Amino acid sequence: MPEMPPATLLTALNSYNLLPAIVFLPTRRRCDQAASEAAFTRRDQSAERCDVRRDFMHSFVEQHPEVRDHRHWETIIRGAVASHHAGHIPAWKLVIEKLMSAGLLDAIFATATVAAGVDFPARTVVLTGADARTGSGWRQLTASELQQMTGRAGRRGRDLVGFIVAAPGLHQDPQRIAELLRAQPDPLVSQFRATYSTLLNLLDAYGNFAHVREIAEKSFAHRDGARWISRLQQERADNEMRLKSKLEEANCALPISVALGLERLVSARTRLQEAKPQTRAEALLRWLEEVVQPGRIVGIGRSGRRLVMVTQRRGGNVAGIREDGRTVSFPLERIGRVYAPVYRIREGSIEEAFDEIRGKGKDLVVPEPRLRDVRAEELEALNLIDEIINSITPSHLGNEEKARCAEALWASIENAEAIERSTQRIETLRNQVWQPFEQRARVLASFGYLDFEAEKVTDRGRWLADLHIDRPLIVGEALEHGLFASVDATRMAAVMAALTADEDRDYGELELEDTLVTTLAQFEEIGFRIATEEWQYGVDPAPELNFSAAGTAARWASGAAWPLLVRDTRSEEGDLFRMLSRTGESLLQVAGLKRVHPEAARTAALAAETVLREPVR
Amino acid sequence: MRRSREKQRAGRKGRHEGRPNRQESAAKVSRATSESLSLQSPGPAVQSREVRKLLEGIGTPPTSLFKPDPFQLDALAALEFEDVLVTAPTGSGKTWIAREEIRRLLKSGRRAWYTTPLKALTNSKYQEFSDEFGKTEVGILTGDRKENSDAPLIVGTTEIYRNQLFDSLRGGNEVRADLVVLDEAHYLADEDRGHVWEEAIILTPLRIRLLLLSATIGNQDEFAAWIEKVRGVRCGVVSRPGARPVPLRAAFLLPDKRLMPLLDQAGKLHPEIARLSEQTAKTQSWPRRYW
Repeated sequence: MPEMPPATLLTALNSYNLLPAIVFLPTRRRCDQAASEAAFTRRDQSAERCDVRRDFMHSFVEQHPEVRDHRHWETIIRGAVASHHAGHIPAWKLVIEKLMSAGLLDAIFATATVAAGVDFPARTVVLTGADARTGSGWRQLTASELQQMTGRAGRRGRDLVGFIVAAPGLHQDPQRIAELLRAQPDPLVSQFRATYSTLLNLLDAYGNFAHVREIAEKSFAHRDGARWISRLQQERADNEMRLKSKLEEANCALPISVALGLERLVSARTRLQEAKPQTRAEALLRWLEEVVQPGRIVGIGRSGRRLVMVTQRRGGNVAGIREDGRTVSFPLERIGRVYAPVYRIREGSIEEAFDEIRGKGKDLVVPEPRLRDVRAEELEALNLIDEIINSITPSHLGNEEKARCAEALWASIENAEAIERSTQRIETLRNQVWQPFEQRARVLASFGYLDFEAEKVTDRGRWLADLHIDRPLIVGEALEHGLFASVDATRMAAVMAALTADEDRDYGELELEDTLVTTLAQFEEIGFRIATEEWQYGVDPAPELNFSAAGTAARWASGAAWPLLVRDTRSEEGDLFRMLSRTGESLLQVAGLKRVHPEAARTAALAAETVLREPVR
Repeated sequence: MRRSREKQRAGRKGRHEGRPNRQESAAKVSRATSESLSLQSPGPAVQSREVRKLLEGIGTPPTSLFKPDPFQLDALAALEFEDVLVTAPTGSGKTWIAREEIRRLLKSGRRAWYTTPLKALTNSKYQEFSDEFGKTEVGILTGDRKENSDAPLIVGTTEIYRNQLFDSLRGGNEVRADLVVLDEAHYLADEDRGHVWEEAIILTPLRIRLLLLSATIGNQDEFAAWIEKVRGVRCGVVSRPGARPVPLRAAFLLPDKRLMPLLDQAGKLHPEIARLSEQTAKTQSWPRRYW
């Protein structure tokens, strides 16, 4: 079904007395088009209502001059319709919301995103499809999203009934809408995650990882984990009881720990037995698994002449950097030679590492084990374990007692196994929550913001904890390297914009000045160093800098007029507003670091002041 | 139906590609038909019984004095003894609960913090509360706005509130509040920022009462049980029975501008609409792709 022209749609709705309506459309552009098209065709017949709207808007402009020359002004006054979406600045959205509540509009064309959080109910909500637009395509609406939309239908105290109208649309799916209307609301799903900021703040507050971990384990995400853990703890306690009573029945006064020890020995023995390498290749692979680690240089192929610096290990796969700087990945078994030194993986030092290996490589090779040696070691270990198992019962007992005790121990080995299993599962579950924090703690430690061993936040980490921004680490490093002390307010604004802007949004293609390019390059360099470290510890690397945001923020911070900025960047006002407003907020955070970074703080305060001028507030 | 007519028209003009240019043709149709619309309007005159029933009772209720809903009073009563999670759809009067509780607290010289997820919402709440309680009683804290921050009622973003909790844990000033309202608490499920809500709930000191206002969610009891567990105080759940303050009816607008109920009496898709969408599905050759 092709979509109805907006004016036709409104006429049809009006004939059933279904106005005012909110018409949800998938894109901002379609909202704008629909509003102008509808306004062009329909015209509000009542001149009186037009005048009321005009007066209303003129009085609004007195408080919000930034909407005075808005291009949709006439659409509203003459057509009694408006578009409402994230591309508009807040003041414009506000005037539309107010007009709607005052009953002065017949329809709003809106994107689904505004369904959340904004208050403008109508009698009718219109949907032309059952889909929502995402950054990269389409997906189906969820029950909760539809409920957010239908929540706008029917004004309390002003409507006896509210309506949702499925209107024709190219991809309209009435079946789906009918299903969604019946569906239960979606459950709340936790999005708990570790951040540098939370970690630093909590560690500084509590002074040890255990306490931070306790907080993390309280998360809604972990509630199932927490439930599992308590169930496992119960299970473990039950098994301990059973084990204890079995030993007591046998009159064997051994603590549980002995039974657990026996279980561990037995399972170690089994593992050894099963894992004993049978061939040279197997022995070699196992050795490689042990010695190949990030930071080591390895030789590829049987000759081992091609060198690669290992940067990452994922199971049987290795990723690394070749001497020519290209990255490569290959399976573990292709490695023919491993060199002993472990280097730091950072640009600049990699070349030196290769030089050293080229120079005195022969002396640095880690000797490869011979199969016979490996097997001998394992056999020896097996014998040792057998001996310990035999001597596990206390020596002061008589032979008969010993035999009875040993029997009881072997009879309860299943309980011991269960206890061991519970313990391990509890450990795994707890690690799931904690690991992302630990990884971040290690990254912070490698830059000196916390002392991992002492479990303390350093002085440097303390001010970083105060920096409430999305990516504190890169800003912290920029401050530490004096990068921010040497730039002017315009460049500082630009850099902060590059950092805070949505990664893949285009804010126009303004030309960047050379000095700004240099600063951004230095900033990127810092970002690269952080990403390398994050990668090492398994932290997802942060998004890249948005250069187009930098250019736009620089133009704005150097005093450009808002209408010109909008024109030259060809961006939507709402996007510019949000980006600049967030940039201003980040600058204010840096401006708060007066004590530790006075110069940068001063510049940031200046920059914030210019960025946060009208209409960006 | 409209589609087939359009096709004929396009065919007569010699344009018979598989995909008609929608915008172009839409604009043409709009111009061609808009004047005659009022004449062929399928309005009230030709309504079937089914449609009459669909539209029955449409209109504005007589103005009456505001009377709180029982669920609002329940929530207020519960707040005297425990944390409360209120789930109700937008526009059903969740804010009223918060406002009355805040009024009660301010009267007895106590303090409150009201958090929202959006700056725009924070600004409008600031305005609303200033009008209600007087300018001196209300302060605002957002990333770039700080006014009257010693006022007994603070309105701000959830991030700022969470940061205050961090500061107080690190030896800074205590959070001075007897009640914290988390508006739009379902933001806990927001991919980027949701963790802030969890941290706020976990770290809020026991002496502070929590009032969470949320859209309807599928697992409200589980959510409340979690709050109860991490905070160690009871958390009541109050939701609006019958869900919506204004009843909702679903309709389908046919391409020929006729309106009909979307659902049949059993609440399933109306058979006539099912038939129609099957037909159009056959003639349509470009299904939307999902990612």
